[in-house]
Amino acid sequence: MSAAVIDATGQAGPDRTAGAPARPFAGVAREHLDGLYGYCVRLTSDRTEAEDLVQDTLLRAMRAYPQLRDENSVKGWLFAIATNGWRDLCRARGREVPTVSLDGSDPDDEFSLFATLAIEDPFPYSDELHLDFLRLFHDEDVHEVFARINPVFRAPLILTTIHGFSCKEAAGILDVPLGTLLSRLHRGRKQLERGMWDYAVNNGLVEVGDEP
Amino acid sequence: MIDCTEAVRRMWAYLDHALERGPAEEFETHLDACQRCCGELEFSRHLKGMAASTGSEALPDPLRRRIDLLLEGGGLPIEGGTARD
Ligand SMILES: [Zn+2]
Repeated sequence: MSAAVIDATGQAGPDRTAGAPARPFAGVAREHLDGLYGYCVRLTSDRTEAEDLVQDTLLRAMRAYPQLRDENSVKGWLFAIATNGWRDLCRARGREVPTVSLDGSDPDDEFSLFATLAIEDPFPYSDELHLDFLRLFHDEDVHEVFARINPVFRAPLILTTIHGFSCKEAAGILDVPLGTLLSRLHRGRKQLERGMWDYAVNNGLVEVGDEP
Repeated sequence: MIDCTEAVRRMWAYLDHALERGPAEEFETHLDACQRCCGELEFSRHLKGMAASTGSEALPDPLRRRIDLLLEGGGLPIEGGTARD
């Protein structure tokens, strides 16, 4: 048994008579609207669903706001509510809530876009082969590629890469252990790399010899 | 000394400053000796930057108006209600 003892020195926070946050919800929410909408668009891969999800998130958040104890964590808190709302939305629409088996390996895990570009060499005359490849992608193309990543791996990628959350914060938002978050994040990156390559090949952005 | 596979695994975390000191130093030691991974690190930086920049979406105006009603009214806008501009 661990010898650790729970320290009961009242760390749970100051005993405020009015427990509600000082700032009104509307102002706090407005600071995060664009970010929240962007998250919902990437999470659902659908702008109409994202609009529903943003509104649903704000309604839930508005009700729960008086209980929020740490105003500095508002962004992560909103994103966590959106994540839960998205899971509910999947259930309500009769879709499976996306899951994965944790120990299954994925053929994309070893894929390297960097190495593939060097080997396939789609721009033989370029000095900036790798950057030229990235320049092929417009916003909508990237949106498409993200949409095809398994949502379980997509969410950690969106939270850290796009919205700047630390891995620890992202794990909290998704309610998974840090180790799980890290391995999902890695797989999300690999699916992004693989997805970009496949997208470029399938849409004729690059020409390669014997790709199926 | 870590190999390229391990270096690649740590690459995005390194760019996020999410590696602890020990693993980060091992990663940098690997970079000192590996041109290939230096190239991939640079590429990863650009790829991450691209993914990040395309992820921001401005709220569409009709949605912004609905949300304004929601935030001001403290609840759902009444169905069929007309937004006065
Ligand atoms: Zn290397």
